Amino acid sequence: MASTLTANTADSGGKAPGNVALDARGVSKRYGRRWILRDLSFALTAGSLVGIVGENGAGKSTLLRILAGELRPSAGAVSLEGALGYCPQTVILNDSLTVAQHLDYFGAAYGLADLRRANDLVERLGYAGYRKTPVRALSGGSKQKLNLTIALMHDPAVLLLDEPYQGFDWETYLRFWELAAELRQRGCAVLIISHLVYDRSRFDHLYTLAAGQLHREPPAASQA
Amino acid sequence: MTTPSAKTLSADRPALTRTSRAYLTATHYALSELTRNRFAMGLLIIFVPLWYYLLGALFDSATVAFKYAATGVMLQVNSHNLTLLTAGLNTITLIVGFLLFAQTRSSAAFDRRLVLCGYRQVTLLLAKLTGMVVIAALVALYAALALLFFWRPPSLPLVWLGFFGDALIYGALGLFIGAVVTSEITGFFLVIMVSLLDTVFQNPVDNPVANKPILRYFPSYGPTQIVVGGGFTHGFTGYGLGYTAVWIVALALLGLLCFWLRTRAWNAGGRSHAGPVGPVGPVAQAPA
Repeated sequence: MASTLTANTADSGGKAPGNVALDARGVSKRYGRRWILRDLSFALTAGSLVGIVGENGAGKSTLLRILAGELRPSAGAVSLEGALGYCPQTVILNDSLTVAQHLDYFGAAYGLADLRRANDLVERLGYAGYRKTPVRALSGGSKQKLNLTIALMHDPAVLLLDEPYQGFDWETYLRFWELAAELRQRGCAVLIISHLVYDRSRFDHLYTLAAGQLHREPPAASQA
Repeated sequence: MTTPSAKTLSADRPALTRTSRAYLTATHYALSELTRNRFAMGLLIIFVPLWYYLLGALFDSATVAFKYAATGVMLQVNSHNLTLLTAGLNTITLIVGFLLFAQTRSSAAFDRRLVLCGYRQVTLLLAKLTGMVVIAALVALYAALALLFFWRPPSLPLVWLGFFGDALIYGALGLFIGAVVTSEITGFFLVIMVSLLDTVFQNPVDNPVANKPILRYFPSYGPTQIVVGGGFTHGFTGYGLGYTAVWIVALALLGLLCFWLRTRAWNAGGRSHAGPVGPVGPVAQAPA
């Protein structure tokens, strides 16, 4: 699934529909002699919602960490347009800080002038009552909500989500998909990886990562 | 990227605005995290005076020779008072080393996420250093004031300065160990062993090989010289500051280098609001 880069879209923040927001070319990763990813290329366009599934250990998180810049590939290149939002599989928070302090801290990281969007996300994900609660006292689901809020609070052009709804109850799961659909409508390129996908119809494209390479799944409508 | 709901600081504002805000925020939370370490705060409040009391009760007021390198003479000092000074150094180094180690180790992944989200590494590094300096100064001040309940040295500011210097050395050591050691127990053990050996060796009351030239290469040599100057003389020659500064700078640079390596991002995507970023790695041929 090789792709061709489009013209620079800096003036649109990478959010003009159809423009390539993230481009990965020839990405490979190996640990020792074992190749996890092999010459993998794909593009993520603005206003699309793409899923990658695969078995445990297939290399999904490794791929996402490379795309997010957290992990260096053994070979290949990644380029992106606009701001990046990244929600890692492992909840990475500071136990001693409260929810509100996390928002303040990451607001400074993103250079946000205000936290209106962050506070709106907290309301919509249903954990506004825990703003002053230290992370160490939050449930697993609430921690995951904060983990996700941090990835979304700066309205990114590219959003990379690693198992984003693990630990969510059904209502929060549905709200998550509402948010994902909104982000796509606003021109955000959303990539979700998961070992299980229940709602294939929610994705524009779905891929399976196996043997270090991506394989495109048939559209949801043609599924048996 | 500017949107109605999440505006970034406009580009025409001085760059210092965002940088200084990021620095102040990171410093605030670094200090907040350090002072919320209840175990270390408990150690500070209880352990420091208790250690003074126990060692003060155990050691009699005999006379012992201490090589005061600033003048080159062997000072005849009170062993009880000298033990109080080295006890202060011992407790301070343990507490500050432990504090910085625990903070650096526990926040490694979080700091990396902050960098991926746009925090400049140098800003986080400066915030960590600021937190270390403030906490070292406060712990040293508490230990110096607690000393007054047991003995009044001729120059308390000089005693504080020596305490402060050693606290900085061990803060930097904690930062370094926290950046390279992932096991909590291993890190604690390292801080305790280094502190015990280092500070005990400096005291001729506990250690027959004290006053030997080789001790000047130990981390607490400079601070011990400074606190002895404050405890038993009336003048300050500045001797010991150089040794102290070298250890602080060397360990801090080592710790910050390891911190920088652990938190760096290969792709500055989280910071870039326009234009492609990358490539992030060398283009090479992978096997099919």
